[in-house]
Amino acid sequence: MKNKNNNSPWSLKINTASLVLIPAAVGINYIGKLFAGMLKLPLWLDSIGTCLAAALAGPVVGAISGAINNIIYGVTMDPISTVYAFSQAGIGIVVGLMAYYGALKSLKGTLLTGIFGGAAAVVISTPLNIIFWGGTTGNLWGDLAYAAAVAKHFPLWQASTIDEIIVDIPDKIVVLLLVAALFKGLPKSLMSLYQSNHRIESLD
Amino acid sequence: MKSLSLYEDKQSFLNGLTPGCKAFYIIAALVIPAMLGNKLISIGFIVLSILLLTQSKVIRRTLPILAVSGFVLITVIIIQGLFRAGNETVVLDLGPVAFYKEGLIFAADIAINVLNIIFAFCVLVLTTKPSDIIESMVSRGFSPRIGYVFVSLFQLIPQMTERMSTITDAQRSRGMETEGSLLIRMKAFIPLISPVIMSSFIDTKERAIALEVRGFNSKEKKSFLNVFHANAASRPIYWILLIATVASVVWKLVMMFA
Repeated sequence: MKNKNNNSPWSLKINTASLVLIPAAVGINYIGKLFAGMLKLPLWLDSIGTCLAAALAGPVVGAISGAINNIIYGVTMDPISTVYAFSQAGIGIVVGLMAYYGALKSLKGTLLTGIFGGAAAVVISTPLNIIFWGGTTGNLWGDLAYAAAVAKHFPLWQASTIDEIIVDIPDKIVVLLLVAALFKGLPKSLMSLYQSNHRIESLD
Repeated sequence: MKSLSLYEDKQSFLNGLTPGCKAFYIIAALVIPAMLGNKLISIGFIVLSILLLTQSKVIRRTLPILAVSGFVLITVIIIQGLFRAGNETVVLDLGPVAFYKEGLIFAADIAINVLNIIFAFCVLVLTTKPSDIIESMVSRGFSPRIGYVFVSLFQLIPQMTERMSTITDAQRSRGMETEGSLLIRMKAFIPLISPVIMSSFIDTKERAIALEVRGFNSKEKKSFLNVFHANAASRPIYWILLIATVASVVWKLVMMFA
């Protein structure tokens, strides 16, 4: 898998197609969240765009999409969500790397990517939750678990981690299953636009 | 088309301040209380922000933003008031459960911090055009390419939201159910989101070509179409905020090593 690409996944050279993928990704995140709200689903589903962009154009574009996504939320709806730009960027990096090494081609790989992506979000979000909210997330199920854990005298950071795991991991697994399905369905001509670091063979 | 931005031009004092000045106000409102470790200073900043927003006639527009975080704050108050470790002094006994003083004080600290952040952000966001923020960042050396990404989003998201209702109607007319059990609603998500994704990806291809044809990747120095007319107070306010913030950091360092 690895030797198919000449450059590292960390290349900071972003071509124009990948650059315009970023606003599209943020838009998809936004619409995913609205649809999930409209259908009253118990998941956020607000990182589909970030994960797709990461899968298509690599971890750098994924991270930028994730960060910009939360900055836009911050200036239009909820200022506090700006600080969670770091979590979304972390998801973008993990999913981008996993996709780069071909994880989205199998069901097992996709589930693992979902778990790793969710874990990245948990690791980054939990300290932020503790700093800004005293450890809760605002999600009903997560906060009930938090309350139960604190009532059983778990330390704050453990309760908060449990809370965040309940909120993030199932959501990321569902998102990644969707992303892997969409990723397979996308036309090849579109994919080649973003993967600028694939080797071009000369016919001379 | 519904605008995404919360900005409104009221010809007010805050409208006339430079974006950089207001961005520094956010930094000052967050850093100074954190450095001095005093909640009264946070409350002072909240009051100052509210006064500034009222003077700029945009205080009403903070309500939807407060509603988003307010809901979470209520859960914080309930959970910490009931369950926080170290809860000892009962304030309110409700039979099976009781609110404790320690937890409520902790929740109040969180609420003050959150409200301070929200109001300080509103001072910038409600009184500044998004494109002015980006232009001022680009003029200070921020990447114009990423700047484009931000500005384009303020057009793209309302366009996509509009497409959303078209897609919902189209899929409903084909017999898709959007109400019922969780499984039915989960299944409805896929036919709703995939047309948005496919069409926005196909759009990106065209947009990339359109941009490159117009010299988007040109390395020439960029010029600015709009000139921002800042009021005279911008510069002194900027310096006062900068000095106050630096002074608070220095004070903290001195206290740490003294």
